[in-house]
Amino acid sequence: MTKNPDKKSEPQVAAVGFNRPLLLSPAQDLQGYLAAVLGKMFLLGITCVSLMVVVLIFVFISKEAWPFFATHGIGKLLGSTSWYPTAEPAEFGGVSLLAGSLYVTAGALLIAVPIGLLAALFLSDIVSFRIRQFVKPIIELLAAIPSVAYGFFAVLIMAPWMQEKLHLPTGTNALNASIILAIMAIPTIISIAEDALSAAGRNLREGSYALGATRAETLVKVVVPAAHSGIIAAIILGMMRAVGETMVVWMASGNAARIPAPWWNITQSIRTMTATIAGEMGETAKGSDHYHCLFAVGFLLLVFTFALNLASEHFLSRARRLRGGSK
Amino acid sequence: MSNKTMQRTVLGMLVAIVILIGSNALAGNQKKSLQIEGSTTVGPIADAFAEVFLKTHPKLSLTVKKTGSGDGAAALIDSRCDIATMSRFMKGKEFKKAVEKGVMPVAHAIAMDGVCVVVHPSNPINALTTEQIRKIYKGETTNWKQLGGANKPIVVISRDTSSGTYETFHKLAMKKKKMAKSVEYVNSNPQAHARVKTTDGAIAYVGLGFLDDAVKGLTVDGVKPGRDTIASGKYPLSRPLYFFTNGYPKLGSLTHAFCTFYLTEKGQEIIEAKGFVPVTNY
Amino acid sequence: MKMQLRHLGDKTFTFASGMSVLLMVAALVLILGPMLSRGAGALVFDGTVEYRKMQYDMHGRGQRKPLETQLKNAAKARAEVYRLMDNFAVMVDTSKVQKQAKSIFRQFKIQLSNQVKNGTLAPEQAASLKFAGKELRNKLRRAYKTSNAQEAHEKLDYVLNYADNRQFADSVAGQFFTLARQYKNVVSAAGLKHRETYAKSFREVQEIIKELLGPQPGEPIPDLAQFQYGSTRWGRAKILRDRLLWAETWVAQGPDQPLKKTRTPREDQFAGTELAKLFPIMEQNLEKMLLPQRTFYWQYFIDDSTPGHFFGGVGPEIIGTVLLTLLAMAIAVPLGVTAAGYLVECTGDGTFIRIIRTCINTLAGVPSIVFGLFGLAFFVLYLQPKLGVGSGSTILAGALTLTVLVLPVLIRASEEAIRAVPLTYKEASLGLGAGKFRTFVKVTLPAATPGILTGIILSMSRAAGETAPILFTATVALGPVPKSIFQPTRTLSYGSYDIAVGDRIAAMVPHQQYGMVMTLIALVLVLNLTAIIIRRKLESKLRGH
Repeated sequence: MTKNPDKKSEPQVAAVGFNRPLLLSPAQDLQGYLAAVLGKMFLLGITCVSLMVVVLIFVFISKEAWPFFATHGIGKLLGSTSWYPTAEPAEFGGVSLLAGSLYVTAGALLIAVPIGLLAALFLSDIVSFRIRQFVKPIIELLAAIPSVAYGFFAVLIMAPWMQEKLHLPTGTNALNASIILAIMAIPTIISIAEDALSAAGRNLREGSYALGATRAETLVKVVVPAAHSGIIAAIILGMMRAVGETMVVWMASGNAARIPAPWWNITQSIRTMTATIAGEMGETAKGSDHYHCLFAVGFLLLVFTFALNLASEHFLSRARRLRGGSK
Repeated sequence: MSNKTMQRTVLGMLVAIVILIGSNALAGNQKKSLQIEGSTTVGPIADAFAEVFLKTHPKLSLTVKKTGSGDGAAALIDSRCDIATMSRFMKGKEFKKAVEKGVMPVAHAIAMDGVCVVVHPSNPINALTTEQIRKIYKGETTNWKQLGGANKPIVVISRDTSSGTYETFHKLAMKKKKMAKSVEYVNSNPQAHARVKTTDGAIAYVGLGFLDDAVKGLTVDGVKPGRDTIASGKYPLSRPLYFFTNGYPKLGSLTHAFCTFYLTEKGQEIIEAKGFVPVTNY
Repeated sequence: MKMQLRHLGDKTFTFASGMSVLLMVAALVLILGPMLSRGAGALVFDGTVEYRKMQYDMHGRGQRKPLETQLKNAAKARAEVYRLMDNFAVMVDTSKVQKQAKSIFRQFKIQLSNQVKNGTLAPEQAASLKFAGKELRNKLRRAYKTSNAQEAHEKLDYVLNYADNRQFADSVAGQFFTLARQYKNVVSAAGLKHRETYAKSFREVQEIIKELLGPQPGEPIPDLAQFQYGSTRWGRAKILRDRLLWAETWVAQGPDQPLKKTRTPREDQFAGTELAKLFPIMEQNLEKMLLPQRTFYWQYFIDDSTPGHFFGGVGPEIIGTVLLTLLAMAIAVPLGVTAAGYLVECTGDGTFIRIIRTCINTLAGVPSIVFGLFGLAFFVLYLQPKLGVGSGSTILAGALTLTVLVLPVLIRASEEAIRAVPLTYKEASLGLGAGKFRTFVKVTLPAATPGILTGIILSMSRAAGETAPILFTATVALGPVPKSIFQPTRTLSYGSYDIAVGDRIAAMVPHQQYGMVMTLIALVLVLNLTAIIIRRKLESKLRGH
């Protein structure tokens, strides 16, 4: 079909409805090029918002935390367990807070990792597809419940139960917080571990079964080691969830800034870093020592979770690499 | 859902959001408003005053935040609130900071209160001395049987450090000594009350307005907390409750009406209904 | 042998892993069950006639005629109770006459100042009359309060000495003398002893009846809503009746033992007096006095609440949460979807892109309280003054903080959705001559919309449920419904926290506590279920069913 080269082609309205001429003049060409490049830069700018936000977070939190480090030094924060920020003279020993966070996180992981891994194995290998489709949303619902609701449950239902049935002197303690944090972390662990386990590949499993292993042996000795990077990443992400949780520990851990004595008694009250920031922030006047100290604690929290994040990313990328490839 | 319907729904939602936000943003700030922040002890009084005010001035916007006397002071210093409710007087540090920022705090003593030491009703102990209380909070006494009670470990509960109740207790009962590290901290009077109500071996301190049948108020140094003993100052842990404002409020302004409401009979009835001691014998 | 062991191990493993999953499901049921069911008590309950009266007074709901008939019937049933109490109170409880004395003095003061205003009385005289009147009132009150008959007579005689003074007798203050004479006739040593015995218990009975039935007809109406009505819920009324009929005392068990709670019928405390008849009446006739009826209070989601949440609903909290969430999504969705599109379409795997991905993952991992600190430091204290808004909590700051919180989730979900679009769509569009941008907007995005929508809904549920980011940036415990985005607001999440630990009044109304948490959970669950359904439909579509 010949076309008249001088006339502008009739608008062939395709499904996408554009009507650009087939031959561009130099001006139009330049216009188009500029539009494309500027558009791309604009989009890149929007994408960089997330980068900007992370930088801003670090900048602003360090900015407010710096006066504390400048005047008192980090040694004061990490040096003692006496947290009396409103006494005169004020004492900012944050070791008890760190210990508190550690206690609830360790407790939560001790409960969450076995249960989460077993559940992930169950869902990925042992049950049929239909049951899995049914159970996965239920577990995701657990993840969706707001933390305030968990805290509500912990302080109004679980704490009295602990006091009555377990005869503990106080129901708001490290154990209470650990259990609730475990329930909150398990869905994260399950979903990421399950992804890692499914990606381990059928050939591994089939090879193991062919050699006569039982299902339990296959899973424990072949599949889990093969997926270990992903599983470690899952555990680290669960840990991040537990460390960063505020409302539950604020309501349920008792907020006593001390290291339990004896050290293995998790039925005593402790206080975490997150609960300290949430509870004491309102009382500080902007610019006071206490204010900067709380930002310093927040800074520590930020650095710690950032490190955990890098670690989890490392393991996830290893898992991806070992899996062989697609992004 | 077909693509078209989906697109239309999304577009509709976006338009709705924009309209909602636009109308909100254009509405601007309310002129007649009052921000009140501070103590959880004085908070119920402020709430009740607010309720009465809202009935007579329905176009008002009153915001009450109850997180602790220290929070109220900080907010007043930062000019974030109009009235700071505090269950203690402003500290020297806070005064200095306020003056630095150009805020002149003026105190209005609206009621008298007593810091009552409470235990669970099943606790056979009825009276303690200030010395014994101090020992408990310093961690030197750890079991009720050391004081003649049952064989139960003492669960020591304190208010958090931003609380005026804490400051009063710290000054009058602890004589400014530090509390033990094993002391549990709660964030408000009602929380302390709830903890003692549900824990056998607990001891805590709350404002007079929070003393009721669910907990037992102890006699301190031989004086039972009550309206007469607190008003006369006999009860060792009595203290006034304050409203703090930036300068004396202008006559006829909303702040002035709110801050002088405690002098009216209605205000004093409310204060009494909330369980505190009004300042006059109206 | 070893074979059996291995099979046993296998079966145990299967069992253990099955148990883990069951444990999780059980945890879900255990956590949600009580909260949702108790919260439902805020919506569906047995409401009494006091409740209907309150609804009519506050919101104009219900019809007047039937309500008045019901109130009349209830009043008839209560009349006997009030009669018994008033008769008993004559000797035992003088608080009413004390209040009367107070109000007489107030009226006297007003009368005096009126007289000064129209010149019939000189100010100095008025002042001395006022002072004397106050003395009379105090002496009268002292006479009422004392348990010493001699002292009572002394004070009454002092008061009655002024009975001949014309200035008092003709004015309002003359009522003092009537009261004094009435009391002088009744007071006697035996009677006062009688009062000693019963005063405390009678006061308790009075308190409970006031809570059950509201203020006595004829008494002034209290200012605070909490005290203006009797028990509005039948469940609570039954608890109060139980407290009325049985007195709890703590009895010593022995040395070194905690006290034990024992219940004694309160009737025994008043044995031999007229008041003992009160208790069987209360036990049997409470239904007639309160007329309970099944009520469905769906306006719970619209109504405002009285301070302390004693009455009312969670309307403003819902509005606050919805405003915050919608505003946050309005900012986050364009940012997130654009960023996701750019990441998928325009980039390779360079270092810069790896950095951006690391940043997105970092954002996903930052604790929520650190977001709150950032929001406080950046949006509230730094950005807002620059915009001319004061540095206080505002919805805008809270929404911006929530945007930053949900951005990574949104970007990830959108990225996955865009990547899941089959390459053939894109290639076909490019093959027809469309540019990359047009392809993306008109072909890829619409195809990825279900997945992006899932991501949006999940982020919405996350934003609605978060408390820590909005603690310092947007939310207050008590405040008006916000009229602009430059004001703070109440929210469901912070309200649940505040009500669970902060409010003493809230502890008296547990159904309100659970109701607010139930509303929050229901909101989040509905959003999540919608997302799950959309995702299911999408998956089935992709699988080609």
